[in-house]
Amino acid sequence: MTEKKEYPGEEGLFTWPSDQPQLIGGRCKVCNTYYFPKSFVRHKPDCKDRSATEDVLLSRKGKLYSYTVQYVPSPPPAVNPDPFVANPIGWVALPEGIAIPGRITGCKLEDIKMHMDVELVVESGGKDREGNDVLIWKWRKI
Amino acid sequence: MRDVAIVGIGMHPWGKFLDKTFVDMSVVAIEEALKDAKMEWKDVQEMAAGIWVWGSVSGLNPGPSITARMGETGIPTTNIFNMCATATNVFRAAYNIVASGTKDIVLAIAADKSPKGFFTTVGVPDPKDPDYLRWRMIGLTNPGYWAIQLRKRMEDYGTTERHLAKAKVACSRFGALNPRALYKKVYTEEEVLNSQMVCDPLRLLEICATRDGAAAAILCSADKAKKYNARPIIVAGVGEGSSLYGDPTARLGLVCGPVEASAPLVSESYAAARMAYEAAGVGPEDIDFVELPDNSSWHYLQYPETLGFWGPGETERMLDEEQTGLGGKLPINTSGGIASFGEAVGAQGLLQIYEVVSQLRGQGGQRQVENAKVGMTQTYGQLGNSATTILKI
Repeated sequence: MTEKKEYPGEEGLFTWPSDQPQLIGGRCKVCNTYYFPKSFVRHKPDCKDRSATEDVLLSRKGKLYSYTVQYVPSPPPAVNPDPFVANPIGWVALPEGIAIPGRITGCKLEDIKMHMDVELVVESGGKDREGNDVLIWKWRKI
Repeated sequence: MRDVAIVGIGMHPWGKFLDKTFVDMSVVAIEEALKDAKMEWKDVQEMAAGIWVWGSVSGLNPGPSITARMGETGIPTTNIFNMCATATNVFRAAYNIVASGTKDIVLAIAADKSPKGFFTTVGVPDPKDPDYLRWRMIGLTNPGYWAIQLRKRMEDYGTTERHLAKAKVACSRFGALNPRALYKKVYTEEEVLNSQMVCDPLRLLEICATRDGAAAAILCSADKAKKYNARPIIVAGVGEGSSLYGDPTARLGLVCGPVEASAPLVSESYAAARMAYEAAGVGPEDIDFVELPDNSSWHYLQYPETLGFWGPGETERMLDEEQTGLGGKLPINTSGGIASFGEAVGAQGLLQIYEVVSQLRGQGGQRQVENAKVGMTQTYGQLGNSATTILKI
């Protein structure tokens, strides 16, 4: 078996490998509701066709709607940086009209600002027990 | 539908009880409720029980374990799980059984034993489940969601760190007056603000601790209630709600939500409360005191607004003016709330009911709300479910 160096924490959530990764969400073509992940389908209450959904590659760029900084490591099945550092997590508004949470990267804690522009990247969230990097989506300050 | 009364309440203390099973704790609560109602176990005609989700199959099916301990009588036992709303939904099930005329005397019981530290995903890992993904791919904890919503509130309304501390202080003042509270220390704002930052802007003393506990209520048709209790408490209305499309809350357990609001925040609680108000034929102005889910200081700020007691962004001013204590506009969490008990998730709703019944009976001791006639309980609920009761004398 080939030795893995890095792999997505779960398959099918974002395009990978890619220099311009995108989250794979979905949309109802009838009621125009967007959602993520694509498995968690959502509709308007008066939607006329709940089968009319399609997979959608979501916008890579969005704005920080709000955020927190977690000062304690997250329990499994999360992976954490080793040694642990404070973990900023943003709720990011996309042009599709939905917001999606993710860890914030590419800036110091004091440089995180409400409404700042961010873009999607795929990076290691931490290592598994064998020392391989577990890849997750993150929001990077532009 | 006929009128329903509460004729007995009971509880097992909140805390950490490593050597006790959920059945051990349930029985303590049930026996106190039976004694309170001057009733025998054999008088109970049906039971609704809260599921203990971390307890394997026995925890998922608590009814038979409890009847085995109490003595098997063949009564129907229904098991219910609805996250933080579990115990109140158990109460609602019991209420409906009596109100419909199906049975006269029904027991509502819920117990919970919590794992240590942060909750994490339960069950088989499934990448199609957003609640699994938020742990696996982000590590976003429950207080993390609340902190995200809170920071938005701070931006919208100018909420300060001091307001967050004041919510804890207000609960702790009540907790100190409740002999059954787990934490009886009265905190100062400085002590709260000196506690560890956990999920910025929420500190350790501003989020709920997870604990074990159990509580019970015995419901009876109102026309027979006086036989069991000289001071029966009337169930004026119950409500249960799920979320509304377009609710922009950073909803616990999801990894996606709308940006533009076309529904209220925590719309599941909004819906549950409106259902209860309608059933009771009352409005927020008729409520004398409330037990709300202070899972965090953000909840304490948000919920009075969700329940319609005052407008958005006004809880901060109410805290500044100390309007949520005894003698204020609306006493909040006279029990001391989750801040003074910790949270036994599945049992918490019946603990709230225990407090409101105690107050309405005039048994609130030093924390008694003067002239208490109508009280309300309200839960939170993961992924968008919630439940409400309105009780009156």
